[in-house]
Amino acid sequence: MPHPASDHFQGKTIPEHLKDARMKGAQATSELHGLEISGSQSAFADTVRDTSLTFAMLWLLLHTYLPQLTTLLAIIALGWLIWKTARSASLGWARLSRLHRVIEEERWEIEHHREQEREELVELYRAKGFRDPLLTQVVDVLMADDNRLLEIMLDEELGLPMESYEHPLQQASFACIGGIACLALGALGFILWGTLGLLSAFFLSFVLSGAYTAKIQRIALLPACIWNVSIFTLSIGIVYLIEKSVLI
Amino acid sequence: MISHTKHPYLFDEFFASGKEESISPFLLPSARKWGHNLPLKAAILSACFLLLAYICHFLSPTFAPVFLLFVYILSGTPALIQTVQDLLNLELNIDILMTLAALLSVVIGSGMEGGLLLVLFELAGSMEIAVTQKTKNALSHLNKLSPTTAYLVEKDGHLVERSVREIPINSHILVKAGEIVPLDGHVIEGSSFITLDHLTGESAPITKTMGDEVPAGAKNLDGTLTLRTTKSYKDSTLRQIIELITHAQESKPTLQRWIDRIDKKYATTIIILTFLFAISLPWFFPHLPYIGVEGSIYRALTFLIAASPCALVIGAPTAYLSAISASASHGILLKGGAILDALAKCKKVAFDKTGTLTTGSLRCTNISPLTEKAATIPITQALSIAGALERPVKHPIANAILSFIQEKNLPYAAIENFLAVAGRGVKATLSDTSLPCYLGNKAFLLEQHPELQPFFSSNLSSSVQTYLFYDQALFAFHFEDEIRPYAKEVLSDLQKNLNMDISILTGDEEHNAQKVATQLEIQHVLSQLKPEDKLAQIAKLSHKQDLIMIGDGVNDAPALARATVGISMGKIGSSAAIAVSDVIFLHDNLSHLPWIIKKSHDTLRIIKQNLSLALCVIFLASIPALFGWVPLWLAVVLHEGGTLLVGLNSLRLLRKK
Repeated sequence: MPHPASDHFQGKTIPEHLKDARMKGAQATSELHGLEISGSQSAFADTVRDTSLTFAMLWLLLHTYLPQLTTLLAIIALGWLIWKTARSASLGWARLSRLHRVIEEERWEIEHHREQEREELVELYRAKGFRDPLLTQVVDVLMADDNRLLEIMLDEELGLPMESYEHPLQQASFACIGGIACLALGALGFILWGTLGLLSAFFLSFVLSGAYTAKIQRIALLPACIWNVSIFTLSIGIVYLIEKSVLI
Repeated sequence: MISHTKHPYLFDEFFASGKEESISPFLLPSARKWGHNLPLKAAILSACFLLLAYICHFLSPTFAPVFLLFVYILSGTPALIQTVQDLLNLELNIDILMTLAALLSVVIGSGMEGGLLLVLFELAGSMEIAVTQKTKNALSHLNKLSPTTAYLVEKDGHLVERSVREIPINSHILVKAGEIVPLDGHVIEGSSFITLDHLTGESAPITKTMGDEVPAGAKNLDGTLTLRTTKSYKDSTLRQIIELITHAQESKPTLQRWIDRIDKKYATTIIILTFLFAISLPWFFPHLPYIGVEGSIYRALTFLIAASPCALVIGAPTAYLSAISASASHGILLKGGAILDALAKCKKVAFDKTGTLTTGSLRCTNISPLTEKAATIPITQALSIAGALERPVKHPIANAILSFIQEKNLPYAAIENFLAVAGRGVKATLSDTSLPCYLGNKAFLLEQHPELQPFFSSNLSSSVQTYLFYDQALFAFHFEDEIRPYAKEVLSDLQKNLNMDISILTGDEEHNAQKVATQLEIQHVLSQLKPEDKLAQIAKLSHKQDLIMIGDGVNDAPALARATVGISMGKIGSSAAIAVSDVIFLHDNLSHLPWIIKKSHDTLRIIKQNLSLALCVIFLASIPALFGWVPLWLAVVLHEGGTLLVGLNSLRLLRKK
């Protein structure tokens, strides 16, 4: 049943309002392109994957047509590194700005709709199994301190944990390191075994970064590695085969 | 009151800082250091790229533009964003002219000069942001001090923690030892020593017992007090001080506003004139084409470069930065360059007493007998007993008495049955004679021995009254606040060499204020002033002439914010006073005052020289540019040469003397 009075709930029931709030919190923490895990490790692995696949495709497509491709790729690599680093920082800052905006909105709600915030707390803790008089006592304690109340509402209502994100520049630094590491490995492979070495190095980088991501996301390692092998092979294979059939 | 250590996230502080990244509640504590002084770091990085571009210009000219591109992106992007925002808000200022001039420098092939322009501009701006960042934290310091919860005593005697916002007048609250009083109220149960050092800067403990009024923000030292609240959160003493500071800051006229107004008019005029000349020059010179090296657009662009006030703009900030830097190495923190302007105009100085002219720490100076029996007992014996009684106690009076005894290298007497009565005194029995001995305030001793009433002196020099009684002997302790070293010489320098009028404004008792004034030969003294009285006096004193206020306590904070220039003591000063001040003496050294005033005069002189030089260059280059007498390259050389000269002139202020 819709909640009477206040525009705080915008005609929704308290559980519906809480569900919306959770969605809003999830949107605030996600990167612009989806729900990818934030942080330096993720940025590192993401950059390694993108770099290895992009440069492997560029090499496959162009090495038969451009005699100075090594030099050209080295130049492109500089621009690519700047792009990946700046993009990672930019995404991090965008997320931080959204999170700051969410705290500001929630703080305003606490200051101006105190009673409704209390009702939300009651609903949240009732859902956790609390019953009166303990429920009222818990809510009284939580309502006593505005700083604590804001922290609780961000965590419980919006699902936003405090002190859990890295600084955008830190994230960007790891993205940059990931790009440099991947390109260095590719260059080493090329120096040792030519085209085969370069493609193998990029393939290895792609699969290892997939395994690393699986590890930090705590998902099954083997399927993740095999899926990455498949995705890399499919992407490269499509480019190679179409190029052969269209241009030759 | 609940300790804040329970709650690591002080959202009030975060919002008061303007949502500073370096204290963002969402960032890991270890990641917050990445967010410190980002604009300054970007400006320094940009300067490094500019240097690389300059070196490459000689060694490998084809690579110079690569590094220059970094300079334009790092320093130019923020400038471009600001410019677009200003344009969208229909604001024309020097920021826009600078960006336009930098971009036009690229167009005319002087990218290096444009880069230099951007780097200097960003460096000056970021330094100012870094220094003035503390001003944003002014209210967050007070919010830290201000308790957010209180223990409410319910009718059945249960204690419930409540937000101070939800506690109405006439509620009963409990304040434990060591806590800050959350709301104003009357004591209805208990007694304790409290200090008002958070509010007034006075560190001497005051006894509070049933019926006494206790202000919010006072620190409860030893006992437990139950208060009946007399004010709500919004009207509490601490909130009133916060309000006073806010209003005082808002009402303070700043030099920056004046500069902004000039900026706008100048930039508007130059931009309009540029377009006007570009369009109308061929009307006055019929053979002049619009396009081409000698065309009207070329001449108008030359005029814009020549008239771009780079030297004019950096003339003041570089001088300020040099003076700020020299001051910082001297132990003086200035919150922005405009403070130097204001300092140079000041003709009066108002000093707070405790903590500013004096050291702020209580010092026991003497002990005197009040009864006949006391006159027959050696003072050393009385001091030994007093030392034994005060040794287990921790508060400023005990510390002062113990230091006095330690100076005399006296042993402590042996005592038994020690008992401390919170907010009143201590008692024990002497081990060798089993005689009872008491040390405490007048009320405490009268409770034990009412017959002592006629012997209490009403003429003690100190506002703190502490007595020792044993074996029919009554002694009084004398305390005073120490005058700072070189205070007299500094005041003499201010009066004789800098022609400053000097006043003392203090919340202390009149006789204490007069004593210090006499010692320092100051005529104008106002005592027993509450924070609002100080604020009113500052407003009155600064009505006709600009005034410097120098203080340290929270009670000085509104006055410091209202004065033309507020100066606080960095070591002893309360965080609120430091936060609202314009200048902070990091080493609490009073002799810094004449130094910084002289430095402000030097800064103003250098700025005048810089502005004169910059205006000369503008007039010499911009008007002839319209007649085609000054080519574009010469306009750039004159423009940048003027800028360089102005910068070098400013560097003279880096000298410490």
